[in-house]
Amino acid sequence: MSEEEFRASRHLFVPKHEIVPPDEVQALLTKYNASLDQLPYILTTDPNVSELGAKPGDVIKITRKSETAGVTYYYRLVVEG
Amino acid sequence: MAVEEAVKTVGKIGFDVFSPSEIRKYSTVEVTVPETYDEDGMPVQGGLMDNRLGVLEPGQKCGTCGNTSARCPGHFGHIELAEPVMHVAFVDIIHELLVTTCRSCGRVLMPQDEINVYQQKLSEQGYTNPNLLERVSKEIIAKTKKAKICPHCGKRKLEIEFTKPHLFHEINEEGGAIRLLPAAIRERLERVIDSDLRLLGYDPQGARPEWLILQVLPVPPVSVRPSITLETGIRSEDDLTHKLVDILRVNQRVRESKDSGTPPLIVQDLVDLLQYHVTTYFDNEVSGIPQAHHRSGRPLKTLSQRLKGKEGRFRGSLSGKRVDFSSRTVISPDPSLDISEVGVPYDVAMKLTVPERVTPWNIDFLKKLVINGPGIHPGVNYVVRPDGVKIRLEFASDRESISQALAPGYIVERHLVDGDIVLFNRQPSLHRMSIMAHYVKVLPYRTFRLHPAVCPPYNADFDGDEMNLHVPQSEEARSEAMMLMRVQDQIISPRYGGPIIGAIRDFLTAAFLLTKVETKIGKESFANLAYAAGYVGELPEPEFKDSYSGRQLFSLFLPKDFNYRLTSKWSKAKGVKSDKDDVLVKGGELLSGVIDKASIGAEEPDTILHRVAKDYGTDVARSFLNSILRLLRAYVSSVGFSYGFDDLELTEAGRKEIDEIIRKAYTNVEDLFKKYEKGELDVMKGLRPEQVLEQRIMTELSHAREFSGRVVERSLPDTNSGIIMAKTGARGSSLNLGQMMASVGQQSVRGKRINRGYYHRALPHFPQKDRNPDAYGFVKSNYRDGLNPIEFFFHAMGGREGLVDTAVRTQQSGYMQRRLVNAMEHLRVEYDLTVRDPQGAIIQFLYGEDGVDPSKSDHGKAVNVERLADSAALLDDPKAPRVTAKDVDTLFNEFQARLNPKLIEELREVLVVDSKSGKEPLSKRAARSVVEKATELYHASFVEPGEAMGVVGAQSIGEPGTQMTLRTFHFAGVKERDVTLGLPRLIELVDARKQPSTPTMDIYLDENHRTTRAGALEVAKEVLFTKVYDLVQQVKRDYANNSVVLVFDPAKLEERGATVDDVAAVIRAPKGKVIPDAKSNTVTVMMENLDDAAVVSAREKFLNTRVKGIPGITSVSVITKEGEWMIQTAGSNLQKVLKVNGVDQTRTTTNNIYEVNMALGVEAARTALVREIISTLEEQGLEVDIRHILLVADLMTSKGFMQQIGRHGIAGSKTSVLARAAFEITVPTLAEAAATGEVEELKGVTENVIVGSTIPVGTGMVDIYMKGGS
Repeated sequence: MSEEEFRASRHLFVPKHEIVPPDEVQALLTKYNASLDQLPYILTTDPNVSELGAKPGDVIKITRKSETAGVTYYYRLVVEG
Repeated sequence: MAVEEAVKTVGKIGFDVFSPSEIRKYSTVEVTVPETYDEDGMPVQGGLMDNRLGVLEPGQKCGTCGNTSARCPGHFGHIELAEPVMHVAFVDIIHELLVTTCRSCGRVLMPQDEINVYQQKLSEQGYTNPNLLERVSKEIIAKTKKAKICPHCGKRKLEIEFTKPHLFHEINEEGGAIRLLPAAIRERLERVIDSDLRLLGYDPQGARPEWLILQVLPVPPVSVRPSITLETGIRSEDDLTHKLVDILRVNQRVRESKDSGTPPLIVQDLVDLLQYHVTTYFDNEVSGIPQAHHRSGRPLKTLSQRLKGKEGRFRGSLSGKRVDFSSRTVISPDPSLDISEVGVPYDVAMKLTVPERVTPWNIDFLKKLVINGPGIHPGVNYVVRPDGVKIRLEFASDRESISQALAPGYIVERHLVDGDIVLFNRQPSLHRMSIMAHYVKVLPYRTFRLHPAVCPPYNADFDGDEMNLHVPQSEEARSEAMMLMRVQDQIISPRYGGPIIGAIRDFLTAAFLLTKVETKIGKESFANLAYAAGYVGELPEPEFKDSYSGRQLFSLFLPKDFNYRLTSKWSKAKGVKSDKDDVLVKGGELLSGVIDKASIGAEEPDTILHRVAKDYGTDVARSFLNSILRLLRAYVSSVGFSYGFDDLELTEAGRKEIDEIIRKAYTNVEDLFKKYEKGELDVMKGLRPEQVLEQRIMTELSHAREFSGRVVERSLPDTNSGIIMAKTGARGSSLNLGQMMASVGQQSVRGKRINRGYYHRALPHFPQKDRNPDAYGFVKSNYRDGLNPIEFFFHAMGGREGLVDTAVRTQQSGYMQRRLVNAMEHLRVEYDLTVRDPQGAIIQFLYGEDGVDPSKSDHGKAVNVERLADSAALLDDPKAPRVTAKDVDTLFNEFQARLNPKLIEELREVLVVDSKSGKEPLSKRAARSVVEKATELYHASFVEPGEAMGVVGAQSIGEPGTQMTLRTFHFAGVKERDVTLGLPRLIELVDARKQPSTPTMDIYLDENHRTTRAGALEVAKEVLFTKVYDLVQQVKRDYANNSVVLVFDPAKLEERGATVDDVAAVIRAPKGKVIPDAKSNTVTVMMENLDDAAVVSAREKFLNTRVKGIPGITSVSVITKEGEWMIQTAGSNLQKVLKVNGVDQTRTTTNNIYEVNMALGVEAARTALVREIISTLEEQGLEVDIRHILLVADLMTSKGFMQQIGRHGIAGSKTSVLARAAFEITVPTLAEAAATGEVEELKGVTENVIVGSTIPVGTGMVDIYMKGGS
């Protein structure tokens, strides 16, 4: 396999990352009564961020497999790092 | 109480640096005289004990406020320093400012346009980066350090040389070092403008940099440094006073010598002395200068030492305080108590009091108590009148009249009586069950009594343990204790969602004896026992003609609709397979099976007690446990149970068998030696023959002990006390039995047979290189027969290691727990069930991902679906229509929003029955009721908002730390693949180390390589790091041709998959030629310069050149796992390995979390961290709910990168100054807070404990909000 082919997102440990559409971010923040900077962060240097092409200020939705709940969602704010 | 002064709460605390003018403003005296008292013993005016600074003796009046010592708060004075000196705590900041600003114009060494950019960045509101300020100032510092010329005034920047603790030199253009005196530094700092300071992260309003150089020194009030008068009448001054005297003396000398025109050099020496004294006044542990000592030789305890450390102000006096209304004494067991009771000695009950307000309802009772007074038990020690006057009854002559005067509004401080609620605690308080609320039972004698069943949560035994007791003094405190802290509410541990309280020791023996099949109880004893256990009700029909079975007696106390099934520990230990020996309870009737640790034991999930507590509530659970324990106690007292020397007797046949086993083992060992000598031992991958031999010997010997232990077990009857105790889980194990009766077995130190001591032998009693296992600590004897002196000595060696291990482990795990708690204490569950820190930053969007509180869960699960379905099936109408898969789907559609995917999956599994299984599905109605009930239970097991799940999680991970082994390595089959396990590994994980101590990878392979060994080897060769050194056989020097010849070992080349050409391709020989020769397996390097030094260095260089493979991977081994070939490595480099051809990029992992983070991102790092923590705990056999682990992992990754649990990570990045100061680096934290003008918002836990307000978690989180008037 050549180097370009490597994609972190394919790895077993990496749950699905996707960018939350900007128009849905507000609804998310309202739901959790939180401001953007109160979300957990993900750095721009994170391989999944660059794969998605997310920019600082974007929110990433992570669909995790959960041992307790089956499936859960986690959100992270993209931050310069 | 009467004079209620206005109570204010602390809202915020700002941190600033005192400016000289402020110091002067707040000062009441300028202290100039170094003398403290005159000949008459009166304080000298203008001295350090001036009465304007406050007074110490009760009779004196303060010269400033006129109050007596009780009411005078003390007042500051000041010293005018003759020459400015530096403040030690701020030298680093001073240094930074000197480096980043211009020596001439004072501006930041950065062009104006760049400054503008950064200022713009800082002013930008929002989300670009949380640590923006810190990052910007760091960037600026980095950039200004590179600047050569001031972009503002064009002056050249000069190098600053800083010698700790407070010497600055400037290197001028000629290379000469010129000392920068504090006065000069001060002048420079004055020039730095406010906006530049803000850019660097400082607060110019609260801390102008020139204030960091001291011109005036505040003198703390005398109440801060009280003097003590000894019995002899000699006054002894406080360390701070001593230090201030030193400062004053030197200050005076400096002033005098300056005034008298002494040469500047000598003056400078004096100023340096002044600097020394001022420095040690602040901190007497500065490295690089000698400590100031007291006359007696003891180092002085100055300001910094007062704040720092465990006994310092922060941890010793503010975070933890000594309390009243508490008591401590030895504990002893009392099985006649209720589990929720504590026995309190009369002496204690008569000293500890409860304030009770007199009301019309209790006035008669309290009047009687007052008459009893302090000396008769239910009595009173104090009476508080409504006007606030406290009457001490000990000295009251006429208690009768005081009793008569009692009226509503009085407060009576009465003795502790039966039924009062108190808090009971045993240190170390490792988890929340270490402090529980008990009801008082006043008893004679002098010890606290507690029920043996509550020993596990406290981890108490009665070999001299002491415990503490606290009496809550307010109604609020009492009701909180009763609602949250009672023993019965703590039965289920939040660590693993199972009961931590239950039967132990003899209770379990008794349970077995009572419920075993043979037990028959006569009618009379049955009635007596039932009565003794508090049974009220009708007696059942006897099972036999005129006697009851023991199970019937047990069943009396089970709830009438209780069903239960489980395999007993006894059956498991006996290896009985048939179901009919299972513990089976139907309709509250124990039908079969013996009751033992598995069904009512403590620290055992899924016991009967667990089921009862879950299904019937804690009240029922408590009374159930109480009755059962009382029953068992009564029963075992009546039948008796003992264990003694006679029970250790072994049959002659058994003895012979054991001797034979050991003899055989010895000959086997001898055979192994012979094989070894002949070289016939099977080789094991990566091990030298000696190691193989040693390993085989150890297995052989451990088998010998194991087998002889089994002989013991076999030859003892089931009626043997030892067997009963071991197999019911009451005490001991079959290992212990074997050691007592068969053979103690191999003693070890550091996991090896004992082989240290003398040359090639452990003791001089043996020949060198003895082959006899006796010589290396194998103890043939057993404890019954006794050990011979040599065995005894080896045994003591092994025993010593165990003791040392425990001591080290408690320390390590204690510190880990402190760090965990510190990092997580401020996390709480909000009303929307998110987990957040006090700033509102989200750590988890739903606690534990399903919102379930582990202590309300059923062994980690929110709902026990099988049990639900089973009980539904029992009540089901057999004629009603059955559910189909489609029905179930519609049902789930309806409930989807209120259930989670996992639960739906579990429900589907029990509701949708495969037609082939032959099982009958539930009826539609029953299915619906199951789903409804599951939903209800799921929501009932949610965490309570406000719950401090952070602390609970920290405790749940920290507490088992004490039980982990310290033996770090575990042999995993391959040389160098010994992985760190146990406590050290757990610590490593929460430390978020970049490099674990034993990195290792599991490399999975793609379809093309995983099927064959050859394929796997092919990849392994690409992965294993290979240097020229690893291939070479010999390095020759050819003088004739001016060359160095590398001769390669063809076997090695083959093994590593490298060719001579590969090597030639990587060897760099500048100005030379590299000639490979495949035929002779050589590479010739022609060199220009062939003197000795050049050759040696070139040789080194060649040998260390990488040929192929991945840096970091030091060894590989190819194994099969689950039918596929894979590679395990020692050393790790995920990023690179993932890019190797043939590696499965989706499954390959490493135990280095940091590498996972770099290669795959934070989310993967989180997954890996969770997996590693779980496997570490599991390997140790410790059960911890996954939710606690998830919380730690989410917290550590919440900032987008791995944060350590500790001072460099989460605890160090807390917003609260006080919390950080209380954790580890106290003084520098405070200094930095002052310089940057931090504000303490008091939102977290530690901060509020320190200032003495309620903590914002749990019941302290509740607030009342009101709409303002419109």
